[in-house]
Amino acid sequence: MYRISSRPSPGPLKWALWLALAVGGLFTPVFLAAQDDDPSPHSDAWLIPEVTSIQPGAPFTVAVRFQMDPGWHNYWRNAGDSGLPTTIEWDLPDGFHAGEIQWPYPERIVAYPLVDYGYSDEVALLVEITPPADLDIGAMEKLSAHVDWLICERICLPAYADIEVAVPVSREDPEADSAWTELFRQTRDRLPRTVAAWELTAEVTEGGYRLHGEAGSDAPPVPQRVYFFAAEKSVLAHAQPQELTVEEGGFALDLVASPYALQPSTPLRGVLLAEDDRSWARESDAVAMAVDVPVQGAPDPLPDTSAAQSPDAETGNRDGPAQSPQGGFTLAVALLFAFFGGILLNLMPCVFPVLSLKILGAAGQGGADRRSIRNQGLLFGLGVILSFLGLAAALIGLRAGGSQLGWGFQLQSPIFVGVMAALFFAIGLNLMGVFEVGAALTRLGSRPGKPSGHGESLASGVLATVIATPCTAPFMGAALGFALTRSIPETLLIFGFLGLGMALPFAVLSMAPGLLERLPKPGSWMETMRQVLSFPMFATVIWLVWVYGQQTGVGGATYLLTALLLITAAGWMVGRWSRTDLRSGVVARVVSLVALALAAGAVARGSGQQPPLLTVQEDWQTFAPQEVSAAQESGRAVFVDFTAAWCLTCQVNERLVLSTERVMDAFRASQVALLKADWTRQDPLITAALEALGRSGVPVYALYPGRPGADPHILPALLTQEIVLDALAEVISPSSRGALSSSPNP
Amino acid sequence: MKAVTALLVAGGLMVPGGTVLCQMQEPEIGAPAPAFSLPDTHGNRHSLSDYAGKWVVLEWLNYGCPFVQKHYRSGNMQRLQEEYGAQGVVWFSIVSSAPGKQGYYEAEEMNARNEENGNKAAAVLLDPEGTVGMAYGAKTTPHMYVIDPAGVLLYNGAIDDRPTSRLSDIEGATNYLVQAMTEAMAGQPVSVPTTQPYGCSVKYRN
Repeated sequence: MYRISSRPSPGPLKWALWLALAVGGLFTPVFLAAQDDDPSPHSDAWLIPEVTSIQPGAPFTVAVRFQMDPGWHNYWRNAGDSGLPTTIEWDLPDGFHAGEIQWPYPERIVAYPLVDYGYSDEVALLVEITPPADLDIGAMEKLSAHVDWLICERICLPAYADIEVAVPVSREDPEADSAWTELFRQTRDRLPRTVAAWELTAEVTEGGYRLHGEAGSDAPPVPQRVYFFAAEKSVLAHAQPQELTVEEGGFALDLVASPYALQPSTPLRGVLLAEDDRSWARESDAVAMAVDVPVQGAPDPLPDTSAAQSPDAETGNRDGPAQSPQGGFTLAVALLFAFFGGILLNLMPCVFPVLSLKILGAAGQGGADRRSIRNQGLLFGLGVILSFLGLAAALIGLRAGGSQLGWGFQLQSPIFVGVMAALFFAIGLNLMGVFEVGAALTRLGSRPGKPSGHGESLASGVLATVIATPCTAPFMGAALGFALTRSIPETLLIFGFLGLGMALPFAVLSMAPGLLERLPKPGSWMETMRQVLSFPMFATVIWLVWVYGQQTGVGGATYLLTALLLITAAGWMVGRWSRTDLRSGVVARVVSLVALALAAGAVARGSGQQPPLLTVQEDWQTFAPQEVSAAQESGRAVFVDFTAAWCLTCQVNERLVLSTERVMDAFRASQVALLKADWTRQDPLITAALEALGRSGVPVYALYPGRPGADPHILPALLTQEIVLDALAEVISPSSRGALSSSPNP
Repeated sequence: MKAVTALLVAGGLMVPGGTVLCQMQEPEIGAPAPAFSLPDTHGNRHSLSDYAGKWVVLEWLNYGCPFVQKHYRSGNMQRLQEEYGAQGVVWFSIVSSAPGKQGYYEAEEMNARNEENGNKAAAVLLDPEGTVGMAYGAKTTPHMYVIDPAGVLLYNGAIDDRPTSRLSDIEGATNYLVQAMTEAMAGQPVSVPTTQPYGCSVKYRN
């Protein structure tokens, strides 16, 4: 037998402690002395070779064995949420080489709410030692190691030991030390092993990873309880549940990523443990399967982030990071949505007037220089794209500053709505012919028959975008929500594509020579057309006044209407007298400026008004997160209507679907709790709730099953009565409770 | 142990999305830091919102923990507290140990410990219920957070890159807190905004 020693010697730790004590003089020596008494409190360590003698050049295995008091534990290579892995520093004779630590699979140590990975009672860490080929036969070789570990019960104490053992060198084949065969056998049983019967793959999912196992022909049934221990620390959230899905021909295990991971990591390494002690292999006993697989969709390890992002961002063409942790919604899909959403925006009631003016302007130049028309088209497009980028940048900036804002945020400001109403009203008056000024205001609409300047085209692009934002929600809800969770370059890219889509039709029209020539020749019909186009402008004003009224009440809306009256007066004065003699022209302009100033004052005043307290219809309650859980606790399903007065889609849905007798009767019959989350004005609570659902704007319709904690079913942004009734039937009927899988992760 | 684990996991599965009461949260970098309001050891209340416009550092503290002792015995933590305090940064040490567990002391006793350890934080806040610790996802002692003057969380993680309890490992370590503060106060983005915290587990109420 060899002498096995756990004789401690003063290590660097002790000297460091004494040094700190001498320098700092802060602590009582009594405390230190208590630790010095036993360098390895509540535990001990030994060094044990597997064989009774070693052969020159022949590798052999040693065990670093720990015994711990009941209730105390030390840690695996990944210690989990807290703790510290054990380290071994070898001090070996010349020419000896020590391999990596072979770690038996650990157990989960739950200290709510944390989960650590470690060992209790007893464990042996195995290390292969390779001696040199030129050893003297008959000599004794001394193997030494300094071992550091953390020993924890409810509290943690650092422990260390300097351990050593001497082994004789012999020509004979080494024999296993019979005293320790059981220790080595048991330890090896706990080492993870590669199992050929399973083909493992991994991919990035929303918020984590999915580990797939495809069963080979000789694979046994999938174990019923499976846990994956990640070998590295900042990969998985250790305390999160891992969801096992047994599929035809294999299994999938869903893993939640560590909150400390800066990006998904690849490869995924660790141990897949069958916690029900079933073997992963038919022939042998393998409860712990080694995992080391590349992760699809994870960026390459240690990328140069600055270099990796920009080239991809420009081409919009990425295969790797596109399958990001955001899962299903990839960057490519978001870009596609953004692009087509942008094209559709041209048909929106709030954009159409601005666009028709542009077309009219182009038609007016029927005979004009083709290049100038093309430039205008491009500049309009540039204006659209730049203002989308500008809005996105403003949104990113404000959010970074901590504001709880979402898409369409500018329409939450009554001042903005009031100014937009005044602007559109003035454009309408101008189109109607009430006044003509060579000022920027008229030219925003680019009067027909007159080539417009570059600045105007750019400005009309900006105008079109600003007024279009509230219309983006139905097409872009998910994509914009996605965009705001991405890196800044990607967010800007998505918004840029939205602008590109919106700018495209007019840019194409202005560039295709054949298209414009089909328009009738300029003539008196254009004056008529111009006046006709003032009507959509006034219609837009009605909508804006209504939004403003929702935000500020009848009092506020009256101020705004007064402002519009003052603007009419100002326009009329300018139109009536500007072409008469110089003196009255000047007086008219001065008086009209006074009227405009008064109008501005009225808008400012009106914006400060508060609407009367919201009188929610009797069936609807005001949204609060706790209302949702309270109703769920009592077994009632919950329908939440995230809405805003300025959101046209929301209004349409509410009038044509939600408030109909048929839908309301169904809600009442099923005793659904109806909650209205009104986002007309800024509300951090609602913004947070939207974000929890992965959205950044309204409308969102969430139907929660009447079970505590159940995830909501998200309905489409454009509702029909059938969609609501079908979803309701699905949520209410007990047989389909498992079917609600498409809900997002809150 | 396995049974407890299985129960916990089963509980987690039945309530997908983590709406378990008092579940540990994971605050997001770049988002507003969770609001809190806690008493200090002198009975004064401190709310995060009181310190709008100031840089705030949060340090999770347990004097009984060897990893915390590493930074107090070396004088490392007090030096940082003093340096940043002089620059107008508000530094709170927060104790989330539950009564009866390691690191928990009544206010009076805690004052004595602070004195003994030379704690230079603006205040030591008492969170015996662990609600603030849970809201911040505080896992270990020490566990550090940086909040900018707009109340936005900029750093969440370890104090440095040497996860040991050895005093000798302080020298030569990359101090993530200092790195984050230096970058953030210079108006630059924080290059390493999250790291895996190391140390003893926070001794929450069970």
